[in-house]
Amino acid sequence: MAEIGRVSIRLPSSINPGDVIRVRTLVIHPMELVQRDKQGKIIPKNYHFIHTMTVSFNGKEILRTELTQAVSQNPNFTFPLKVDRAGKLTVAFSDTTGKTYEGHAEVNIS
Amino acid sequence: MANFLNSDFKSTRRAFMRFAVAAVGLSSLRRFFPGNEVFAQANSSGMPLPDEPVEATMKRLFGNRTISSGEGKIKIELPQIAEDGGNVAITVDASLPVTGATHVSHLYIVADKNRRPMLAKFSFTADSGRAFASTSIRLATTTDVRAVVEMNDGKLFAVSKNVRVTISGCDLPPAG
Repeated sequence: MAEIGRVSIRLPSSINPGDVIRVRTLVIHPMELVQRDKQGKIIPKNYHFIHTMTVSFNGKEILRTELTQAVSQNPNFTFPLKVDRAGKLTVAFSDTTGKTYEGHAEVNIS
Repeated sequence: MANFLNSDFKSTRRAFMRFAVAAVGLSSLRRFFPGNEVFAQANSSGMPLPDEPVEATMKRLFGNRTISSGEGKIKIELPQIAEDGGNVAITVDASLPVTGATHVSHLYIVADKNRRPMLAKFSFTADSGRAFASTSIRLATTTDVRAVVEMNDGKLFAVSKNVRVTISGCDLPPAG
């Protein structure tokens, strides 16, 4: 899993001003599951998973997502974005080791 | 708070105490109404949270507010049978507005039979354009999955769908 934290973003091929587009994003992450012992008791330790996804467009936060361990390994997300003008889209994933993984995409109006 | 702002120097300490008490009171109130917080704190420590039945989760998130049916307002897409519970695609599309006087503020995905039923929470803004979300989730067993939309005025709408899960997505072999 040397690739942990690789973020890919896919945008529609043509975007008109005023459109609400659907942005697809994928992050490579183990999203570690809770381990239990033989008695079924949770083993307390710091599990490695993404707890927050933040989407910003031109520096303004437009969507925040709270995630738990019940989100799949290498999770994908599709979210809406209202595009009035071209700009820079940033998707940031924060995990429980304190790391933040970012992906960037240029949104161009055609 | 007003006392604190209007107070002269002599009563500053008392005013400060009042202010402090008010602040503590507010923060504990907030704990009772987690939905009122714009962006609640996620579990950023990675420490496991205790198991919870779904009724307790709903109570923790929404208190005793009534949840209306979201039929016709919210569309939830899930497979009927999920062969791998570790990766189940879910799409929720609400036709409720995200701008204006009453708008969508949060979308919760809750799986009834998961040990920790609240799976994900999406907080939308006006720039989202639509209350839509799609992701992949883990399901422990055959369960109802609910999508709950919380409006900014506190109204709640929910839809649910049953998914048959063949292989659990949450059970690891016990360690040690």
